[in-house]
Amino acid sequence: MHSTLPIGCGLFLFAAACLAQVPDAPAPSAPVGEKPAGKDAPSFDPGSEILSWDGRNWNINNNRLFQARFEKYLNAPEATGAEDQQYRAVLTEILTRLAPGSATTQNVDYSFRLLARGSNYDIDARLCDSLANAVYTVWVAQRSQQRLVTANAAMQYEIMSLEAATQHQGTVTQHAKDVSEKMSGSRKPAGKNAPPAKTSANEQAAEAKQATLESANWQMRRLAEMIARQKSNDVKRELSEIAAKVEFQALMVQFFLQRRYQHVIMATRFYRALFNDGDSKLNLGKDASDLFQRSTGQPPTVSVLDSVANEAIRDVREGVKAFEFLLENKELDSATKRLAEAFTIGEYMPEVRTVPREKKRRVVDFSHKGFQLISAIEVKDYALADSLVKELAVSAKDFDSSKPTAAIETARTTSHFLIAKARNAAISGDKQGLETALTAATQTWPRNPELADVSRLIFSQGDVQEKAVIDFGQLLTQKNYRKIYEDSGRFIAALATYPDKAEQLKHVLEDMKQIETAILRADEMARQSNYAGAWENVEKAFAQFPEDSKLNQTRANFTTQAADFVRTLRNAQELEKQEQVGSSLAWYLKAQKIYPQSEFAGEGVGRLVKRVLP
Amino acid sequence: MARRASSSAHPVWILVAAALAVAGIGGGYFLFGRANDPYRTMAALPVQDYLQNANSLRGNMYKLEATIAKQMEWSQSAGRLFSVDAPGGEVLPILVPPELSKVNMERGQRFFFKIEVADKGILTARDVKKA
Repeated sequence: MHSTLPIGCGLFLFAAACLAQVPDAPAPSAPVGEKPAGKDAPSFDPGSEILSWDGRNWNINNNRLFQARFEKYLNAPEATGAEDQQYRAVLTEILTRLAPGSATTQNVDYSFRLLARGSNYDIDARLCDSLANAVYTVWVAQRSQQRLVTANAAMQYEIMSLEAATQHQGTVTQHAKDVSEKMSGSRKPAGKNAPPAKTSANEQAAEAKQATLESANWQMRRLAEMIARQKSNDVKRELSEIAAKVEFQALMVQFFLQRRYQHVIMATRFYRALFNDGDSKLNLGKDASDLFQRSTGQPPTVSVLDSVANEAIRDVREGVKAFEFLLENKELDSATKRLAEAFTIGEYMPEVRTVPREKKRRVVDFSHKGFQLISAIEVKDYALADSLVKELAVSAKDFDSSKPTAAIETARTTSHFLIAKARNAAISGDKQGLETALTAATQTWPRNPELADVSRLIFSQGDVQEKAVIDFGQLLTQKNYRKIYEDSGRFIAALATYPDKAEQLKHVLEDMKQIETAILRADEMARQSNYAGAWENVEKAFAQFPEDSKLNQTRANFTTQAADFVRTLRNAQELEKQEQVGSSLAWYLKAQKIYPQSEFAGEGVGRLVKRVLP
Repeated sequence: MARRASSSAHPVWILVAAALAVAGIGGGYFLFGRANDPYRTMAALPVQDYLQNANSLRGNMYKLEATIAKQMEWSQSAGRLFSVDAPGGEVLPILVPPELSKVNMERGQRFFFKIEVADKGILTARDVKKA
């Protein structure tokens, strides 16, 4: 219960903060009673990680806003510089002095003074100033003259400190300027060998000058602000204590919404020190009150705010520890999620800000690929998604590839099915079906390589068909039926849509079937040494198809092998033509004696017998 | 001891006698054959010439001794057409007209044919004698 409470709460707050504030600038306090963000109160479902706000839903881990902020954080250096350490020390000191049992008048005054100092740091986004202003307003309302004097003295001290610092910076700036000029002047006579050193020195001087100028500018602005604030405090008139309390509460809620949990705790401790009437109920509008009640399950009070902030801090600390442990075990998926959660809840917490960039960079690649995988699946680039899943599975041993793999495989199977359907439609000439199946396949997996192949095939099919039709016409003219027969598959497919040519092809193929049958039969007879029979078979086919080259070759071979029979038959036929019935009949009889089953001889005998005995 | 004179014939005489015997047998066979050929005065059919160009022999009469191979056709008006195995392994067609219908001719029987090379080179039997 405790672990999910801050996460859900934090995610909601993160979304609200993302939309409500510029990260490095202080956000104005929302007036009490107004809706904190948009028209509807946002709600977050930790189970589905879906955030609903202003009529829109999105996954908290999968939106550009989160990606951008998270990546910025992952690539940022760790906040371990001297200034960061000083700032954290200031906040720690304030929290220590305001801790229960330690919040004496002196400690409160000292903490107030430290607020002015804390606000000097850029990372604070002037939130300490806002808190100090609220505290001062309460003191005005409570007519605490002594506290006001102390507060003004504290501010005066800060002004003087800033003035001194500004003067020092001015001196440093002038010194940097002098050094720069002096160095450039001294380098002038150095000749041709000097330029590199001169450039380097000039650059260093320029950088130092720029840094000091920026620092001076910042302190000048800060000084102006402090003076303006002191002036505005002077003109503050009597305020009602209730109004001051409500304003203070609104500020606490605002800190909470901005996930500035340390400021929340500082504010609640100041609140308890300032208002000791025992009334800790937060006077919020209905929507804001409902929001807290839904997120925390309790009515909004200062204590609830304080405890939730403390719980969030603890949760962030644990999240970062878990991240480091998972990173050591190369469980990048879980490590990234834990860091993302910690970042979502406590973006400004020291534990999050001090994570070394080296460690963060290790999850950047994984995170990039993870976001790329989500994008690839969204745009249905399943080939890329597949390769990313494999890469992620290799780089992170805890990466759960089941969901993306299921999505990829489903799309792949569906696409294969639709492409097969398109191919069948193309073969059967169903243009409507082809278009429908191709469109569906394209929508399912737009960059499917197989789709491109099929499309190319279908588009080139027209050319192939046209060429086949032309080839068929040419071969038919040349009476090269054998070539048509050898390439019959291509011509059958190509001429399917040309009924007249298909009929011609059918005749050609039937003739070729006869030739092939005759050759096969002749070969079989030759195997039985019946060369006369083999020759007679091919001779009969040859009479029908004299142009076929293979048949010609076979006939020539068997003519040699059955030379006696062929010569006898040829003599008979020749003499028959010369009307020498007797001699011709004698030759036919001789041929019949050589090959009794000879059809040629039998027919010749039959013809001539009828002439002898009509 | 008295010596006996030799009584065996001289080998030369034996050889002469053998030669005369062979010549006698051969001559007898020749004379028998000649005597058995009913058409011994006629010329035999020049089979190869006939096969090459029967028309050139039209009108001529020849004799042919051949064996009946098979009867190919029969017509009451025109007679019977036989194929016969002639000397030299050739097969020839011979038309036996109705006038010779009284001669029974069956496969495997050997006959002497008196033949005429008729119109279109058809061999027509004018007389038949069983060999």
